[in-house]
Amino acid sequence: MSITKTICYCLLFSYTTAFISCRQSVSNTPKSSSTVNVTDFRGVEITLPKPAKRIICLIESALSGIYMLQAENQIIGISSGVYNKSTFAQYAVLDERIKNKTLPAPGNWDFVNIESIVALQPDLVIIWASQTESIESIEKHGIPVYGVLLKSVNDIYKEIHDFGIMTGKSQRADSLISYSRNEISQLRSTIKIAEIEKKNIYFMWTQGLLETAGTTSTVNELIEFAGAKNSCRTSKEHVVINKERLLDWNPDIIVMWYDPLKSPDDIVKLSEIQHIKAIKYKQVYELPSVFLCDLWTLKFPYAIKQLAKWCYPTSTEGLNMDTEKQKMLVKLYGEKGEKLIK
Amino acid sequence: MEQLSNAITVSNLSFSYNGSVILNDLNIDIKPGKLTFIMGQNGSGKSTFLKVIAGLLVSHKGVITILGNDSDSLSFTDRSKLTGYLNQQHKAIFPFSVEDVVLTGRAGFIRYVPKEADKTASVNAMRKAGVLHLRNRYYTELSGGEQQMVMIARLLAQNPQILLLDEPTTHLDISNQSHVLSLLKQLVSEGMTIVAVMHDPNLAFLYGDDFLFMKNRKIIRADESMQAWDTDFLKTIYEGNIQAIPFNGRALLIPYLN
Amino acid sequence: MNRRIIQILFYIIPLPVILASLFIGPSHTATPGAIMDLFLKTSDDSNLIKSIVFDVRLPRILLSFLVGGSLAISGCSVQAIFRNPLTDSYILGLSSGAAFGAALALAYSFLPVQLSAFIFGLLAVSLSYFTARKNKNVSIVSLILSGIIVSGIFTALLTIVQFFSDPFKLQSIVHWTMGNLHNANWEKLRSSVIPITVGVFVIFVYRWRLNVLALGDDEAKTVGINPERDKIIILIAATLASSSAVAVAGIIGLYGLLVPHMIRMVTGPDNQQSIPLNFLFGGTFLLIIDDFSRTISSFEIPIGVFTMLLGAPFFIYLMKKTNIGWNN
Repeated sequence: MSITKTICYCLLFSYTTAFISCRQSVSNTPKSSSTVNVTDFRGVEITLPKPAKRIICLIESALSGIYMLQAENQIIGISSGVYNKSTFAQYAVLDERIKNKTLPAPGNWDFVNIESIVALQPDLVIIWASQTESIESIEKHGIPVYGVLLKSVNDIYKEIHDFGIMTGKSQRADSLISYSRNEISQLRSTIKIAEIEKKNIYFMWTQGLLETAGTTSTVNELIEFAGAKNSCRTSKEHVVINKERLLDWNPDIIVMWYDPLKSPDDIVKLSEIQHIKAIKYKQVYELPSVFLCDLWTLKFPYAIKQLAKWCYPTSTEGLNMDTEKQKMLVKLYGEKGEKLIK
Repeated sequence: MEQLSNAITVSNLSFSYNGSVILNDLNIDIKPGKLTFIMGQNGSGKSTFLKVIAGLLVSHKGVITILGNDSDSLSFTDRSKLTGYLNQQHKAIFPFSVEDVVLTGRAGFIRYVPKEADKTASVNAMRKAGVLHLRNRYYTELSGGEQQMVMIARLLAQNPQILLLDEPTTHLDISNQSHVLSLLKQLVSEGMTIVAVMHDPNLAFLYGDDFLFMKNRKIIRADESMQAWDTDFLKTIYEGNIQAIPFNGRALLIPYLN
Repeated sequence: MNRRIIQILFYIIPLPVILASLFIGPSHTATPGAIMDLFLKTSDDSNLIKSIVFDVRLPRILLSFLVGGSLAISGCSVQAIFRNPLTDSYILGLSSGAAFGAALALAYSFLPVQLSAFIFGLLAVSLSYFTARKNKNVSIVSLILSGIIVSGIFTALLTIVQFFSDPFKLQSIVHWTMGNLHNANWEKLRSSVIPITVGVFVIFVYRWRLNVLALGDDEAKTVGINPERDKIIILIAATLASSSAVAVAGIIGLYGLLVPHMIRMVTGPDNQQSIPLNFLFGGTFLLIIDDFSRTISSFEIPIGVFTMLLGAPFFIYLMKKTNIGWNN
């Protein structure tokens, strides 16, 4: 059995390599037109005379995408959240300027200092599409704005694809996208689960036991890619549920978003949910650090694999999460990824 | 308890409010079992004097002795057994029933919740004050005069040895004035001591036993050579043209044109 | 008399409502029939139902009751001692202080959220009180004013905390401030039951004295009550009860203002009658509102929203129909 599996993996690997090299050769062809054209998540067409060289990126997940494209030298401003958040250590490894705190931060995820932005003379600002007022003021100064709104994995692909075009790194963008697509399809072929055998996953946000993700969320996609089923069927992104619903759903597994204060043990101890299968069989897991499992970046396949491993330990026996992590970091971040492993 | 010669003795009492002197080195004694009226011009400090005696204004200078007790050392509860106080006017916020308002007069006897005896005492007090028919009415819906009568009933429920009344007849019509003043006379005849600030000297002269006058931040009595209702004396108290007209052995005071 | 009957009804109703609430909830497993089976012991395999009824619903029901009762009773006592029918402990800065404390704990996790909410709630009320205090006297107007100022300060501080929070923490803070009975469990109930009981008991003991205090300071002093001392005792008790309620359930808007008025329409302003009813009806009413919020949708709608949306129209109806309970 293990031999068949090995063969299977080998075949898949060779297929993947072939696919990637093929894609690379396609995007290697030089562009004829010098202007850069993309449509952002607001549906607004953005035209840059040339690839952006002075980018302000106020979204942490988007910033990580730009580092993956190895376009960090084109970044001149970031969100102040990068400096305060738990992901600071990793960014410090990725960029000397962040380590030395010299990279300007003209805003955070919801507040933007227009004056600082204008003073930095950017040729592109990347910001959440929902910040309509800020976008309007920035655009008034003639600065192009790319608005981001991520609702699904395909949105992440689109985002990276557009970033590739805008930074002049299309080739790398496309190669990373196909890498991620491959990772997922590879995993899906490994875990072929009949509908009735699908594990029932309850996802728990850091805010508390009863805060979960509905069917129209990235988390839901994550669960489905891992071959499992989301307990919560409400078609909302973020839902606060009633405790008895949780008992009704009786999930096989509870997956916690990374929480520096709570561990799975704390959840297992909760007396009122002792009758849930996940608690009875101690199937409560916590996703590792936010940097590794960021669902809004190309790192999401790692989280999917982790979920699959928890759900179906036998069929994912060959998956070593440590190796996976190293592979992913090197693939996505290149040389700097090696440093991140440490 | 032996009969005290004075119900209230005030020695060297001074009181200032917001920097202005209102009572200045005042000495007076109030006799027990008498109906004493305090009179004087508007703003002369009559009400302040009464409030100081009632313990409502602290940080005065001098010594006040109430039925042999130093006023400053009295707790609120102990004081409530000695003196009761009627405010010039009382603004109620909540529409308590008259019965509930009168019952609060028993607070000095009630630890936490009123007993049957307290309810009986307030019913008797309402009957004595002639407001029993109002017992279920809202206090806030009564006329000013009725409210005054209810507050007097509350004092009767409290049943202290001395009543300090600030203008008890102000809001009353003439029949209620006579009703209240007769009630006060009756209480005095039953042994109570009553000190009342009066706006109207005529009513005071008709019913009072002793008369005090507020003048130059002090309280004075007419000395033995003359009566309180002598025109000459009254002219030293009230400015302007006034004339005392003899009535029933005492006098009525009227203003007259020059 | 009509009022008498309503009053007696208010005394009787809590128990049946508590029992009925055990049968109400969004679960498809714990249906009323299944719960009846559980009680009649006709079914064996009922661990899940047992757990839903006794570990999820019962603590939530009891907590709703305690929270509602303590908010109402402290609102009523604060209105009496400050002689102002428009006050409750929230207006003295309790809610904004507690919200700030909770937000601080949620954002920087230096203290348990409930404890922090409690401490800052208490701090805000005492700040309001001592700011308003002048010459050993606390006037109604200055207290309301200082309450507004202290509330403003804590609201500003809350905004600062929110401003520096990331979206996850911000969401927690917003959820907390909207009221959150859905997190009820035995542990929360245990942590709040003692301070709430102590606070409620003290107010209950002082219920008749509230009448004396409500007439005014001079009127209280001359009949033998020390208003300063009594007010502080009652204010501490009210703050203890309501800040513990806020700590476990978040901010449940206007409840402490609303219920005492409803009760006054039945009992009149006599606190000896209204104080126990405030606790009983305050608890029952919040429980009924929470029963609604538990059944109306598959996800949780914050209880604070419901108290406003259900309570306010009911209050307006009563206000138009009956004598609200005070003049001018």
